Amino acid sequence: MTGEIVACTWSNDRANAHTAAPELITAARALAAPVRWLAVNPPHDAAATAETYGAAALDRLSDAALLRASPDALVEAIAQHAAARAPRLLLVPQTFDARLVAPRVAHRLGAGVVMNAIAIAEDGGVRVTASAYGGDTRAVYALGDRTGVIAVMPGAVEATAAPSPSPVHTADVTADLSGAGERVRVLEPARSEGARLEDADVIVAGGRGLGSAANFRLVEELAGALGGMAAASRPIVDDGWVDSSRQIGLTGKVVRPSLYVAVGVSGASQHMAGCSAARTIVAVNRDRDAAIFRHARFGIVGDCVEIVPELIRAAREA
Amino acid sequence: MIRIVVCIKEVPDPDAVNSYAVAGRLTIGDDGRSLVQSAIARLTNAYDEQAIEAALRIRDAGVECAITAVSVGDDCAAMLKRAAALGADEIAAITPPPESDWHATAALLAAYIRQRGDVDLVLSGRQASDDDQGVVPALIGEALGVPVVTIARAIAVAAHGAGHAARVTRVTPDGDETVEVTLPAVVTVSSELGQPRYPTAARSMAARKMQPHVIAHDALVPPDGLAPRVRLERMYVPEAGGACEFIAGDTPAALASALFERLRAEGIVR
Ligand SMILES: Cc1cc2nc3c(=O)[nH]c(=O)nc-3n(C[C@H](O)[C@H](O)[C@H](O)COP(=O)(O)OP(=O)(O)OC[C@H]3O[C@@H](n4cnc5c(N)ncnc54)[C@H](O)[C@@H]3O)c2cc1C
Ligand SMILES: Nc1ncnc2c1ncn2[C@@H]1O[C@H](COP(=O)(O)O)[C@@H](O)[C@H]1O
Repeated sequence: MTGEIVACTWSNDRANAHTAAPELITAARALAAPVRWLAVNPPHDAAATAETYGAAALDRLSDAALLRASPDALVEAIAQHAAARAPRLLLVPQTFDARLVAPRVAHRLGAGVVMNAIAIAEDGGVRVTASAYGGDTRAVYALGDRTGVIAVMPGAVEATAAPSPSPVHTADVTADLSGAGERVRVLEPARSEGARLEDADVIVAGGRGLGSAANFRLVEELAGALGGMAAASRPIVDDGWVDSSRQIGLTGKVVRPSLYVAVGVSGASQHMAGCSAARTIVAVNRDRDAAIFRHARFGIVGDCVEIVPELIRAAREA
Repeated sequence: MIRIVVCIKEVPDPDAVNSYAVAGRLTIGDDGRSLVQSAIARLTNAYDEQAIEAALRIRDAGVECAITAVSVGDDCAAMLKRAAALGADEIAAITPPPESDWHATAALLAAYIRQRGDVDLVLSGRQASDDDQGVVPALIGEALGVPVVTIARAIAVAAHGAGHAARVTRVTPDGDETVEVTLPAVVTVSSELGQPRYPTAARSMAARKMQPHVIAHDALVPPDGLAPRVRLERMYVPEAGGACEFIAGDTPAALASALFERLRAEGIVR
């Protein structure tokens, strides 16, 4: 095993995780080890990004088999690269795909895996702080002297440019994917519905406090009036009021809007895991002791069914 | 006939953990690594209940199946009996080694499944609500060399060639996706599957007499195969958030105007 840290990101016809590369490279740089960035289907400006954030090396891996979202091929490609480089740590961004890819790669490397990482430190061994119990606790895991595969939560690390740009050693690398036939056949692909919650600057989220599926319309109208998107807590997704692609939280989407308005949402840790990084949180809840008010900058205590129509009016008054 | 193994884990009731956290009374024990939870009930991880439900729905759909529920854990007989009351035909408890991690858990479950033989479908929850890792099913899949399909809301099994295949509807960030996989395979189940059923009185009576088949860890995997790779060193409760400015006003309209005045003054909305 070398002292190197490999940050790995990928893109395919379904998802683009390269946007997390600056955060991963910054996290790796903080551990005072040489940083190598493995970019699978790399973006055009990868070399410039590597230089800005201080990766010493950039390995570009392009392969037609990796353009389709195909976990078997991706796992094989990353595992081959990691087996050859034998890094100390392999960092991946915690995306939907990473939840499957990270443990599988770890198993092939005989490595330890930790998901939900929010900090990585080195002092006589690597220690990873991850959230547990939905965010109610933090757990610190020691990796011993094995390779670690770590999935870093979005937004956990703030990307910062390297103090001084240094030359990046760039190489085009290949993987032998002849043995990685995809075993899962896609019969009906998901149809992405345009705008992504992850990109929204304003999000209005509704919870069970709305009282009925029909009242979700209030959330949509307020989101519209603020030029944002509507989202939801898990119970109202489970109850079929809203499509699951709208769910925010530990098992939904992780978002970082500048404004997050939570309406009839209790603020359980598993919900906050998806939105606590919002710049400003505004909450409307009839219970003054609701957990959401511990995260909110502004709060209104009251019945959201009465208050939201007035918020819509006030928002339109601009 | 197909054989389904459902992996279930006992966890502290997450709603109770949340309530303790909100009340500022969630505390870590003297070992620094576990919750003080004498008052917190232990339950089947909710996603694992949904995994049992998924197995029962496959049976309800007319596929003849034998269902085994298995857990790696101490004192999990009551949870396993509940799985039997729901419809598991066979229950098994694997005694964990003193120092364990999710790699060891997966190694034990994979070894059990291999030893059990003829397992067509391994079902599990998408993640456990204590560690939130969601890695055990993928590790089992790799150890067995079978495909893993994550985050199912529906699973249908049908004959396929000489064996069977599962058609799985997955919940993805872009909406539902339908995939097909030839069995054997591992499938993880999510809450979108819907409400699990309750045990019937008759089945509960019958299950009371069932005892889990108890298997020691070293009967499945030699000790060096269980050495923890990830060691929980300590756990702590993070600081609660900042102070909230409560908006004052006598009517909904006054509250709304006052809020937007503040938001506009701070440049948060235009
Ligand atoms: C492993 C795991 C993963 C999970 N993942 C997620 C996830 O990804 N996302 C998620 O959201 N949850 C998730 N949950 C569930 C989470 O723990 C909470 O149960 C959930 O977030 C609560 O949703 P809620 O706030 O809408 O509903 P409730 O907890 O029922 O809260 C409703 C709130 O509305 C308020 N209210 C009621 N009536 C009114 C009214 N008329 N006007 C104003 N306020 C009102 C109440 O005071 C209350 O605070 C997960 C749980 C587990 C165990
Ligand atoms: N100790 C265990 N015994 C049985 N199944 C488990 C155990 N730990 C995890 N699992 C299964 O693996 C899933 C994911 O767990 P985890 O990777 O710990 O989040 C759970 O929902 C269970 O189905």
